[in-house]
Amino acid sequence: MSVNTPAQFDIEAIDLSDRDFWAEPPAARHAVFDRLRAERPFAHFAEPQVEGIEPGPGYYAVTRHADLDAISSQPLVFCSGKGAVSIQDVPADLNEFYGSMISMDDPRHARIRRIVSKTFTPRMLEQVVDSVVGIVDDVLADARRKAEAGDGSLDVVADIAAPIPLRIICDMMGVPEEDRAEVLAASNVILAGGDPELTDPDDPLGALINAGIALAGIMERLAAERLARPTDDLTTALVTTEVDGEKLSHQEIGSFFILLLVAGNETTRNAISQGLLTLSENPEQRARWMADPSLDKTAVEEIVRYISPVTWMRRTATQDGEVNGHTFKEGDKFLLFYAAANRDPELFADPHVFDLTRNPNPHVGFGGHGPHFCLGAHLARRELAVTFRRLFEVCPDLEITGEPARLRSSFVNGLKRLPARLTGER
Amino acid sequence: MSRVQVDRERCVGSGVCESLAPEVFEIDDDGALVVHRPEPAEDELDGVRDAVQACPARALALAE
Repeated sequence: MSVNTPAQFDIEAIDLSDRDFWAEPPAARHAVFDRLRAERPFAHFAEPQVEGIEPGPGYYAVTRHADLDAISSQPLVFCSGKGAVSIQDVPADLNEFYGSMISMDDPRHARIRRIVSKTFTPRMLEQVVDSVVGIVDDVLADARRKAEAGDGSLDVVADIAAPIPLRIICDMMGVPEEDRAEVLAASNVILAGGDPELTDPDDPLGALINAGIALAGIMERLAAERLARPTDDLTTALVTTEVDGEKLSHQEIGSFFILLLVAGNETTRNAISQGLLTLSENPEQRARWMADPSLDKTAVEEIVRYISPVTWMRRTATQDGEVNGHTFKEGDKFLLFYAAANRDPELFADPHVFDLTRNPNPHVGFGGHGPHFCLGAHLARRELAVTFRRLFEVCPDLEITGEPARLRSSFVNGLKRLPARLTGER
Repeated sequence: MSRVQVDRERCVGSGVCESLAPEVFEIDDDGALVVHRPEPAEDELDGVRDAVQACPARALALAE
């Protein structure tokens, strides 16, 4: 479907399950969200076809902020346990394996979450802030060395945005250096959303399973080592902490590791790469933020709102009912489109304007109200604030030089490549 | 005097409250919320109100 003339396209032609839609540039996607939000806030779509999975009954696309928050904050009525990260119903064991607590409901979700929540609180993260600064500086120094060894060009994604969150999350977990390339490759496959460049187009499900097995294998080895020789990393906390007299099972630990790697890597990576892209498209905003560190807080929130790194999560109705005038039946699936809710004019003045001073900014980029609110929100905010501030200080000469290559995924708003160069002018 | 109320069943230890009012809230080593000042001082009330509003689990209330 072509969306060159947003005001004129046919609403009947909109199909959020069409892969090609997710290759469209953001402005075109948001034009579609605007129409749906205004005219069909609970639009129904058939499920995308996936080889080897029986298509289900379809889903409702939730695009209004108020509806999204209402569904999100009623976890008993709209559950996650039928799957939060895939549109299709997948077997329960596979669902938990890839989704961990993101695809669980309380009390199991709460049990796992409490074991790890302390590690991710603002106070604990104060202690890792120095190491975040160190990692960011290392990555930026490597990027400059590489660029200056050549013609000054670099890839924002591979050289800056990908290594920063990967190194931070691997450091927190205690993943050894030699395993990190494999971790990055496997997490790319898991979040490829069927993008043929990153996965096996003939057997996406097989590629996904192999990637999961690879990650679980790394984690199993690491967990066994920490059980024998505890350190102060997160893996040690996972293998040794008891909640209500119970420890996490090996499978729970493996799944949690996959969740952390995937959720902790790709989201921050895409916020960094697309944040840089958006700043280069808004040079006056960039100059203002660069000159004024007191904007760090609101600027980071605006990047998360504007980019919405995770496009949607799914909920499934556990009973018949009604939400904001929409009646639903048990088993109905809802996709909560954070990207759409974050541009809802009911809450955000000039929603399509990138405004680093926006305040208040009640975005749902980390999820709506409810028990599944992003565990890593404080860490992500910290990583983003440090990364952009250090970029301004160490790489003020960074210049985007070409068009981004977009990930063709409905779930992750991602970039595969973003060409740039360091001009050497300070 | 205003008093902070916590719904323990709902709290998931997200720490959003701690980021908004660190002198009042802390997530302890077990991931449980500790309210250091159940009756916050006048100048802490804005932060506490923000925390009540922002709590992702809607586990906080301020009885005023």
